[in-house]
Amino acid sequence: MRSHSTQWSLTILCFVLGLLLMAQFRTQWMTSRTLLTTSSAEQLAIISSLVENNARLREEMEALEKQLSEYQQATGRAVLGPLVEELNKVKIINGLVEVSGPGVEVSIDGPIGVLDVQDLINELRNVGAEALTINGERLTLYSVVASTEDGAITVNATQLSRPYILQAIGQPEIMETALLRRGGLIATLERNYEGLAVSLIRREKMVLPVYKGAIEFVYASPVE
Amino acid sequence: MPGNEHESGALAIRRLEAEQEELKESIGQIREQLNKYQRELAANTEMLKEISAELKRQKMMAGLLAVTGPGVQVTLDDSNIQSVPATADPSTYLIHEYDLRDVVNLLWMAGSEAIAVNDERIVATTSIYCVGSTIMVNDTRLSSPYLIQAVGNPVAQEDVLSNPAYLNEIKRKAALHDVQFKVDRVKMLTLPAYKGGFPIHYAQLGD
Repeated sequence: MRSHSTQWSLTILCFVLGLLLMAQFRTQWMTSRTLLTTSSAEQLAIISSLVENNARLREEMEALEKQLSEYQQATGRAVLGPLVEELNKVKIINGLVEVSGPGVEVSIDGPIGVLDVQDLINELRNVGAEALTINGERLTLYSVVASTEDGAITVNATQLSRPYILQAIGQPEIMETALLRRGGLIATLERNYEGLAVSLIRREKMVLPVYKGAIEFVYASPVE
Repeated sequence: MPGNEHESGALAIRRLEAEQEELKESIGQIREQLNKYQRELAANTEMLKEISAELKRQKMMAGLLAVTGPGVQVTLDDSNIQSVPATADPSTYLIHEYDLRDVVNLLWMAGSEAIAVNDERIVATTSIYCVGSTIMVNDTRLSSPYLIQAVGNPVAQEDVLSNPAYLNEIKRKAALHDVQFKVDRVKMLTLPAYKGGFPIHYAQLGD
């Protein structure tokens, strides 16, 4: 049964193909015949119009090709690249993107005050910190270190609990040397607060989260 | 009619017609590609516009644009007293870098949107420190008097600065030792843009 139906299908297919071939042959034969039956004068007229037309088409093609190569050179990618790079850099500065890199981690457990924390942040910025967090809160230009009435330290309006852990991305050795030098900030804190537990660890890689607050301008407008 | 010539005429026609077909085909393809590029360019132009607008916003936040607006001007200066009593601590007659730091931090707390000290714009990487008796901001030497200008809500700014919970040391130095501490409301301040660089060598985008 199966081979029988296959045979039928093949027969039909061959028939259809035959018809198509015939049709093709007829058209070709007819156009040839038409060309052969036209007068030489007519042939010449056709040839000259074809030559003219093809020349126009070639001209059009060349113009389009020129346009195409212009577009290929100016798709805007050349400008977009550096612009995106600059944007990303400013976003790192603004704390509005997650960043990673080497640096130091300073852990302090003790009753230090707001001004001490501000001094620590100032010192880390002074030695080239490119991104900073305290207890996971990313510090931006607009971050405020303050304290509640009962003395707890707040950053970005979030209350911190001890120990205070500052993470700073930058050159680890430079930051370590600056913070641990004799008479430096950590030494001063240890002198001012008896029993203060301070540790500084160099880190090969830390990931600092994005600042979660919003920065909006109500009073300031850019000078054009 | 010479048959050979006639046939070669027919051949030429067919050859020309075939060429015409090819040309039309190529033109069609090029037009299609051009359309594709034009669409891409339009999309990029749109993106360019968006990125430029976003960059401007980010630069404004970073302190890279000069800004104007209302706010306060805080003037701090060392004491005018010619001779400090021998028993007194001379440092209590002076303005120190931590005094500036304190005022700047309180101005941020009061919601300021831009701050400059003696025309040095405060930015995310700014540190206020001293070398000997010279105060440095953005690694630039400042000389007294110190003028801190902050764009923001002047009422909120004055409230914080006059709050007895803050700036106790400066206020005491002003009351006892004639150290200058003055807050003036200004209708329209203009703060310059930060002119330094933001060297980023270690921080990378993402994890």
